[in-house]
Amino acid sequence: MTQQTTIQSPWVSERLACDQPDWLRQAREAAYTQFAEMSVPKLEKTDLRRRNFDLGAPPKSAGTPSAKVQALLEDLAGAAFVFVRDGVPVRTHVPDELTAQGVVVMDLAAAVAARPDVVQKHLGSVVQPQESKWAALNAAAWTAGAFVFVPRGVSAACPVVFVHESSSASTGCAIRSLVVAEADTALSYTEIWLVDGSPAEQTVHTEVLEVAAGAAAHLWLGIANEARRGPTYFRTKRARLENDAQVEWVSSDVGDGFSVALLESELVGTGSKSTLQGIGVGRGRQHLDFTASMLHRGRYTESDIRLHGALRERANSVYRSSTHIFRNAVAAGSEQHDRMLMLDPAARADAIPMLLIDENDVQRCGHAASVGRIDEGQLYYLQSRGIPYAEARRMIVWGYLEPTVEVFPEGAVREWVRRQIDEELVE
Amino acid sequence: MAQPVLEIHNLHVRVKEEDKEIVRGLDLAIGSGEIHAIMGPNGTGKSTLASALMGHPAYEVTEGTVVLDGKDVLEMSVDERARAGMFLAMQYPAEVSGVSNANFLRTALNARRGEGNEIPVLKFHRQLHEQMKRLNIDPSFAERYLNEGFSGGEKKRNEILQMAMLEPRLAILDEIDSGLDIDALRIVADAVNQLRSPDRGFLIITHYQRLLQYIVPDFVHVMMKGRIVRSGGKELAEKLEQNGYDWLKQELGIEDETVGAEA
Repeated sequence: MTQQTTIQSPWVSERLACDQPDWLRQAREAAYTQFAEMSVPKLEKTDLRRRNFDLGAPPKSAGTPSAKVQALLEDLAGAAFVFVRDGVPVRTHVPDELTAQGVVVMDLAAAVAARPDVVQKHLGSVVQPQESKWAALNAAAWTAGAFVFVPRGVSAACPVVFVHESSSASTGCAIRSLVVAEADTALSYTEIWLVDGSPAEQTVHTEVLEVAAGAAAHLWLGIANEARRGPTYFRTKRARLENDAQVEWVSSDVGDGFSVALLESELVGTGSKSTLQGIGVGRGRQHLDFTASMLHRGRYTESDIRLHGALRERANSVYRSSTHIFRNAVAAGSEQHDRMLMLDPAARADAIPMLLIDENDVQRCGHAASVGRIDEGQLYYLQSRGIPYAEARRMIVWGYLEPTVEVFPEGAVREWVRRQIDEELVE
Repeated sequence: MAQPVLEIHNLHVRVKEEDKEIVRGLDLAIGSGEIHAIMGPNGTGKSTLASALMGHPAYEVTEGTVVLDGKDVLEMSVDERARAGMFLAMQYPAEVSGVSNANFLRTALNARRGEGNEIPVLKFHRQLHEQMKRLNIDPSFAERYLNEGFSGGEKKRNEILQMAMLEPRLAILDEIDSGLDIDALRIVADAVNQLRSPDRGFLIITHYQRLLQYIVPDFVHVMMKGRIVRSGGKELAEKLEQNGYDWLKQELGIEDETVGAEA
């Protein structure tokens, strides 16, 4: 039955030829086999039939970072960061205070050699290759990403940020990050994805984030995405929580890209908790298939999902919030709120709440979803004080998104997200 | 009469959705420095008049003219009316999440002042805090989201705060007294009295004479069946307070004063 898979991707061949431990090479090979064997899935709301899954020529050079990313990195001087461009690591900055605490921040490929114990134990344990064609592609082909390790009992002294810029020279992208926070730790980790210039058509971007949150760890995870027309963006980001761990996600999406994204907390430990707040501004012919998911496996687990999307022009977004309470996850509690705002007649949004409950003993479980337009009464009120229509509209949309922007864990990141959204709202 | 601020002539207003005429041929002229009060039972068209003057999208003016300082109000959009100097303190102000009171007010003030003439930020905050103190509004309200979670009384005071900051040429107060206890009523009335000025006209809409003990009007009008049926001085309000509306209905031969009930 076993069938030899010929590696047809020069990108993956080159990854396999790289200097790395055998376990990693084997894991890449196995993942590639899985990738090659999996057919393109039929998603309910996204047609993937005409999307390309082959990575192009392997990345050679990071090229020249854009002025905007350089300005961003300057603003992040107080934080630790890993900066990767077109899949190639460019710069890592770690304040001394963080190193003194024993916190490790580096490129994931470098961590394979530097911290083999941690990487081997956790890599592929939270996001596994067999779960999707793009997760398998990522496991086979990843080139870089952030590695963060927080040892037991440490509250990281400053935020950690991963910044990735893709340019018009990008032939695709396979980025994988791994965050390991041991018991009783605290960390804020944010990813910023930006695009410089117009991306090439039909490239594939597969991004994976694995977060292992130890017992009573408290993590703030921010994801600020920009996706532009051309590539297919696949994002799989998951945290696994042990007893009493807490993970607070906040995510923003801007642009006119074609994306399939999953943000998920796996509440394994007793008493673990997670919140997820997401906002998005879509425009052009954007297609976003976004799922925020909470898997309640442990007892007394709690989750809360809040999604706010605003859509312009011909954008089409699906915001799905999914809660799965597994059998024996007694006394779980969960809330979902999805609200979509359509700003133009041709914009389209789906807010899909999903509740899958296999356990009878549920503490609370609620959901609310709505898709609508800007409230006329609010517009009238603002106008009645002299504020012109376009500005009133903008204020209301901002008011709707702003509270979530405020949740991003770092001042410079918040400023970045605010500017990014502002640009998307320009009429 | 003083230089007119607002002149309404033969105004007819209907509710767009119901195709029902609510204001039916109303005439009123408000001079600069004057306070006019419109009284009347429920359902006689008072609030519709206020909303239509401001340009609320649910109402349509089918006939008549409204002129503010010589300019045709009915030609203007809602925000243009505000920038021309009209202000409506609303009975049910909207709540806007995520927009702070201070940010909203500063944007409104700057819209009124025009580009290149924006108020300096510090000066704005000083003015805002002075006015808030005067209205007994907690300073924390500046950063709270616009009307969100405000009690009925807090919303009303917030309306008056906006009026004080925007310094309108014509202020319309639509049942500003409803939902206010006596202390809040005094505070609101004091604020209005302080804003009395030869350069400003007021139109105060109320059910009760109570408010008019604190804000003494120059003219009192009674509205029934969508038009003004009687006008007088402040003694008219006192008479209505003592005797109700029945005597007036009898005099005028009106059985049902509400709009839509055919005589």
